[in-house]
Amino acid sequence: MTFTLTLSFADLLLLLPEIVLTCWLCLVVIVDFAFPRLPKEQLAILSITGLLATLGCLVWFDVTHVSGALFGNMFVLDRMAIFFKIFIVGSTALVILASIQYVERFRFFRGEYYVLVVMSALGMMFMSSANDLLSLFVSLEFSTLGFYILVGYLREDLASNEAGLKFFILGVFAAGLLAYGISLVYGETGKLVFSDMNLSATPGAIIGFLLIFAALGFKIGAVPFHSWIPDTYHGAPTPVTAYLSIAPKGAAFAILLRIFFVALASFKPMWVILLVAVSILSMTYANIVAIAQRNIKRLLAYSGIAQVGNVLIGLAAGTKMGNDAIMFYLLAYLFANLGAFAVVIAVSHAIGSDDIDDYNGLGRRSPFLAFSMLVFLLSLAGVPPLAGFIGKLYIFIAAIKEGLYTLITVGLINIVISMYYYMIVVKKMYINEPTNPSPVTISGPMKAVVYVGLAGTLVIGIYPQPFIDWVVGATLMFSNLPVPSAIVTPSLPPFGG
Amino acid sequence: MLEELTAGFPVLSCILFLPVLGAIVLWLFEDEDMVRTSALAITLLELALSVFVLLRFVPESAAMQFAERVRWIPALGISYHLGVDGISVLFVGLTAFLSVLVVIYSWDTIRHQVKLYMMCLLALETTTMGVFVSLDLILFFVFWELMLIPSYFLIKLWGGGAERHSAALKFVLYTLLGSVFMLVGIALLNINFHQWASLHHTDQSYSFDLLELLSAPIPMDQQILIFWLMFMGFAFKAPIFPFHTWLPDALMEGPIGMAVVLAGLKLGTFGFMRFSLPLLPDASQSDTVVIVVVVLGLCAILYGAWMALVQPDFRRLLAYSSVSHLGFIVVGLFSLNYQGLQGSLLTMINLGFSTAGLFFIAGFLYSRQQSTQLSAFGGMAKQVPLLATFFLIIGLASIGLPGTNGFVGEFLILLGAFKAKWWFGAVAVLGVIFGAAYFLWYYERAMLGPVGKAVKQTMSDLQLREIVIAVSLSVMILWIGLYPSPFLRIMNGSVQALVDRLNHGTVAALGSSTAEKGR
Repeated sequence: MTFTLTLSFADLLLLLPEIVLTCWLCLVVIVDFAFPRLPKEQLAILSITGLLATLGCLVWFDVTHVSGALFGNMFVLDRMAIFFKIFIVGSTALVILASIQYVERFRFFRGEYYVLVVMSALGMMFMSSANDLLSLFVSLEFSTLGFYILVGYLREDLASNEAGLKFFILGVFAAGLLAYGISLVYGETGKLVFSDMNLSATPGAIIGFLLIFAALGFKIGAVPFHSWIPDTYHGAPTPVTAYLSIAPKGAAFAILLRIFFVALASFKPMWVILLVAVSILSMTYANIVAIAQRNIKRLLAYSGIAQVGNVLIGLAAGTKMGNDAIMFYLLAYLFANLGAFAVVIAVSHAIGSDDIDDYNGLGRRSPFLAFSMLVFLLSLAGVPPLAGFIGKLYIFIAAIKEGLYTLITVGLINIVISMYYYMIVVKKMYINEPTNPSPVTISGPMKAVVYVGLAGTLVIGIYPQPFIDWVVGATLMFSNLPVPSAIVTPSLPPFGG
Repeated sequence: MLEELTAGFPVLSCILFLPVLGAIVLWLFEDEDMVRTSALAITLLELALSVFVLLRFVPESAAMQFAERVRWIPALGISYHLGVDGISVLFVGLTAFLSVLVVIYSWDTIRHQVKLYMMCLLALETTTMGVFVSLDLILFFVFWELMLIPSYFLIKLWGGGAERHSAALKFVLYTLLGSVFMLVGIALLNINFHQWASLHHTDQSYSFDLLELLSAPIPMDQQILIFWLMFMGFAFKAPIFPFHTWLPDALMEGPIGMAVVLAGLKLGTFGFMRFSLPLLPDASQSDTVVIVVVVLGLCAILYGAWMALVQPDFRRLLAYSSVSHLGFIVVGLFSLNYQGLQGSLLTMINLGFSTAGLFFIAGFLYSRQQSTQLSAFGGMAKQVPLLATFFLIIGLASIGLPGTNGFVGEFLILLGAFKAKWWFGAVAVLGVIFGAAYFLWYYERAMLGPVGKAVKQTMSDLQLREIVIAVSLSVMILWIGLYPSPFLRIMNGSVQALVDRLNHGTVAALGSSTAEKGR
């Protein structure tokens, strides 16, 4: 393949958010080295400013409908990419805000922490725009590189070291699978860009895509590619866990959407079966195992796996409505999950423990944190009128429309199971007597994160229309997909299937 | 003059949100007496609004009145649509009425965390009202689910029993299990509407609005599927035998106030009447459905009464008598004729007075003897004559003695049941006999005869607050018993419309859809 790089200034504009963030990243590094005595909070504020500037660019792009493709279609900027970039940059800013207090626990390299977080964000922004297999591989590894270091950042903590090592070994293994899958697909088709692929169901292509799916499944943490999640989430510094549980999932779903709907659109009946299986496994396994957890981070890790199972229901629907539902659901998940982790960070800072038993009596020790946790957990469980409910409803409607009754039934039973373990935490917070009745205090930045989480969860739940409009607009390019719609089949298929 | 003033006034929204706003106001108060007074004021204001609605309600009409409609999430066809008709308006009044009594009852019986208790109670009132006045299925579902949260805390924090923790969780999980199935049913209704609307090129493609969903025909196999899905939701909540196992635990372990709301407001069977029957008339009339549901109802009548007969604990007895009464309501509903439906609806209201009233009596007994076990009672009528009298009045209403409200409802149900199939009525009559047996036998052992060993020597009779509760309940019981026609007139229009809907089904509309397919 010959590659002629003709870039105009206008083309570079499409890269503006990434360019802004890259420059800012350099700035943060320079400031960190140039002023070693500068309090590290200032670096956090500096990073957040940069992220907000990037966010501004992205919002401007979204409002003015900027779109286009670069580097021979390797990099696309459409409204879906912008959605995911906003998702990633927004969650990164909130994670940094939630890290300010936590960073004091690190003995060394406090400044580099922020640099690594922003660097991962940059990688994930490229992931959301990746439109061919090469840029997929490069951007995915780029973003994961930052995480390898971040997960093991608590150098004195054995659990963190273990988490870092596990994540690294399994991550590299997944990267190997990805590279192998890409080489197989390229060998079969001779093409790298998703939209150019003219696939036929040859064994090589099938195995190749299965390997790519496995690597992405590792990223989103779907069963059976989830084995790294509990230990990594448990051992990693809690803000990193929060970050890991949200942003990479969003970026990986952006790529999954592109692969399934662009490269593999004509193979829908085959991948629907695959996704149904993975979704059922993820929800059921994670929800059942979550019941037995004694550590809140592990509980949220398993709940995250189950939530991914829910999102996969929308992907399995394989329609535009399903995609809208996925993106809406991720938005709801962002606020609820980040909020829940923010509460965990605040509580662990105050009482130095992540055991669920130490949440006993939190309702009396800190009414604000306990109430926020209640809202976040109920949103994750899908209780109306919170964001999670509308998200689940949206996904279920999309799936029912496609007649995925088995999947829906499993999903519903899982809602009940998940309610059980969320309610156990609620019970500990409100009903049990506190072992130590001293009030739990919370720092300003943490409070801000929790407020953002609360506001997002409540506003999206009570007035979801603008957000629905946003996601519906963001996936307009999928609206003329060759998928069977309801108008073709006037009556619903009978029960089953 | 009043009419002009109130023309565009969103009275149902006020009714809906007044308690929850009140709960937020309560949060600001520190003083416990202040909290109690404000809670009472809020519930009284709510009652006044509800009475206003009842007075202004045009009887003998099937129309949705006081309707308010705002689009909420147009993309999914969800709207904020409130309205009352003859089926729901009485429940609004009943909810407000019982809430006032619960606040009065809780005045001195709840001693710890009073503020949180009253807030939960008011939040529960809002969600219950929401269930009754919502005309959008998702809005309905929102309130239906939200109700679990205050209920969970009420049972768990203020429950008296040792098993209250598992009872609360059981209640939440059972109800949730039912309602997730119901949610699928609701989504299927929505998608069915969507497909019908796309065929007819109407503008709005999705809708959860009850009135719009009524206009879309539903194929028979779909109706059956949706019926059973929604049945799960309503049956768990009602609860209908054999889904009732959470009820005795929740009523036993929870506080009296919660038991009054749980047992007094028949949300599950209301759901059948509001949604299942009109939306799915053909499925509701299919032989399998009728036989299965009615047989479950008959089993409930006999099983509940039989279990009630042998309970030494009064609250558990009431729980099983609730199961039995719900059996009556179900049999009446699925007799699918005018008398049966009217009787069921009236019985649901009646039980709001009598069963809830008996729970208050249980509370009165509990505050005197610190127990509701039979072993703690015996020959108490001499010491507490007033309590014994009201116990008898309310109890006789619950077993349907002529002259009380229970008689009117049960009589209509039996009439409807006999009209539908003779053996429905024949079995149901047995339940009436059992009902009289378990109540009278228990009353005799608890109140009459020799004074029990555990009965305290000095026991005060009813206090003022308790008298207020007992008298207001007795007044309602006798009013409906002796002069039911104002209540029946309110119901008539909607019940008649429901019967018409059942007779015509969606068949006429179905014809057009098959024509559409043919083309």
